[in-house]
Amino acid sequence: MSDLFQALGSGLLVGLVYSLLGLCIVIVYKASEAFNFAVGEFMVTGSFLFYIIFFDLHFPFLLAFPLGLAAAAAAGALIETVTIRPLIGRSPIAMTIITLGLAFFIRACLQLIFGSHSYSFFLELPDISIDAGELLFLSDPLWAGILALLTFCLVMFFLFRTRWGLAVRATSENQAKAMAFGINAKMILLIVWAASSACIAVAGIMISNFGALSTMSSIVGLRAIPVVLIGGMDSIGGALAGGIIVGICESLVGAYIEPMGLTGSKEVAPYILLLAVVLIRPYGLFGTVRIERV
Amino acid sequence: MLAVENLRVVYHDVISVLNGISLNLEEGELLVIIGANGAGKTTLLRAVSGMIDFYDGDIIEGDIKLRGSSIRGMDTVGIMKHHGLTYVMEDRPVFWYLTIEENLGAAAFSRWSGNVKADMEKAYQYFPPLRGLARKKAGYASGGEQQMLAIAMALMTQPRILLLDEPSLGLAPLITEELFAIIKRLNESGISVMLVEQNASAALEIGTKGYVMELGRIVLEGKADELAANKDVREFYLGSGEKARKSYRDAKRYKRRKRWL
Repeated sequence: MSDLFQALGSGLLVGLVYSLLGLCIVIVYKASEAFNFAVGEFMVTGSFLFYIIFFDLHFPFLLAFPLGLAAAAAAGALIETVTIRPLIGRSPIAMTIITLGLAFFIRACLQLIFGSHSYSFFLELPDISIDAGELLFLSDPLWAGILALLTFCLVMFFLFRTRWGLAVRATSENQAKAMAFGINAKMILLIVWAASSACIAVAGIMISNFGALSTMSSIVGLRAIPVVLIGGMDSIGGALAGGIIVGICESLVGAYIEPMGLTGSKEVAPYILLLAVVLIRPYGLFGTVRIERV
Repeated sequence: MLAVENLRVVYHDVISVLNGISLNLEEGELLVIIGANGAGKTTLLRAVSGMIDFYDGDIIEGDIKLRGSSIRGMDTVGIMKHHGLTYVMEDRPVFWYLTIEENLGAAAFSRWSGNVKADMEKAYQYFPPLRGLARKKAGYASGGEQQMLAIAMALMTQPRILLLDEPSLGLAPLITEELFAIIKRLNESGISVMLVEQNASAALEIGTKGYVMELGRIVLEGKADELAANKDVREFYLGSGEKARKSYRDAKRYKRRKRWL
């Protein structure tokens, strides 16, 4: 029985990080109708920016963390200005394909700059491991879960309690209407991309902290795809639920099915789940119910 | 106050929609623009409000002046902030997935003053039905309520000039009457209004001045009551010509090769 709780608990912690990745895709999708396939590369970029500030320049963590996020936000804003802004008002498919290209471009740039070897990455956060009888939760995943949840709540607060968040939600619904009522849609898109880039960096730093950072870490970004598709592409609550579902599914499969000799099934399980969910509910579990007036 | 001078607008670099339009909106006026579908009425409002870029249109000739200074090339937010001009798009431009209250709040985004609440109160006074719906999603409101909300949202931007694009679209006659009475009241409170309408008789009733547009040109202008009495306007837009009844073929003006200019 304790195996089960252990698996559920660790799945939940990783799932919260996935949720954060999912949230970043969802807010960008809602605002600019483009699916950001470059999420893994955004993650690695943010992590490397933090790496430079924290490990190379030796800033204290409490300063390096916000600085790293600010740098990641600036990178996101730059990418938006160069690649996405010229396409405002055009086909969202074009933007989505741009992000696919961006993924390869950014990965290649990072490999060029940092090489393809691994960088060791230990944050040495205070030890908060929980060791209760047969259950053991290590400090790093706990920190990852907590910080991811905090960031998630912060984004939610911004979206639903501030006037800027209101403007973001209005622009997400319709750019033309928002512009007609005096909301600068271009600026809102810039903010959304920058914020999403910073949040992705939080997830990236936490995931790198589990082991090491390399340009190949961007594979984790692929996990965000089942997260948002299971939860629903345009649902923020769905991102949270989808992330937790994917995390738990992964760790359950890791605990019960992999030992049966099916090595690697852990990696595939979320996608099999994704197939099942999408077959039954094509808009995801929490996809928006379209308002239809009759 | 607002002067459009010889304006030419082209979509996608090839489709010419406005072919040299000039008109004037004086302070405190309620200007009515009527015309058939495709005459360029909506394009005119888009050009004046700076939205034309978004629809891939270009002003290739002419100028738009507000109080003497050209606003050609300014973006929508700038025009709204500096000149108090707000454009209410056609087909009830409200945010469906936000509540009525959030809609009003979103429309107040462009200014930073703290008296948003007071303005909201004022908007509710003009449109009492909205007050009871404040927490309801706008998408579930009725057509009339949505159109009221759209104009209430425009009021939140504190406009001095209001461009209204077919507020009566798809509304019952009684609601239209009510809405037009409120537009008249807004105009009397000091807001200059430019009203584009298909419902010519109702619009000319509340308007002070009117223009008739056809194929991207102004073909007729005059005081609203003069226009309403004009023989051609009566026939084409008000549906009551000299003869009691004409055959449908005769009513199609292109077949008759009738040209205004």
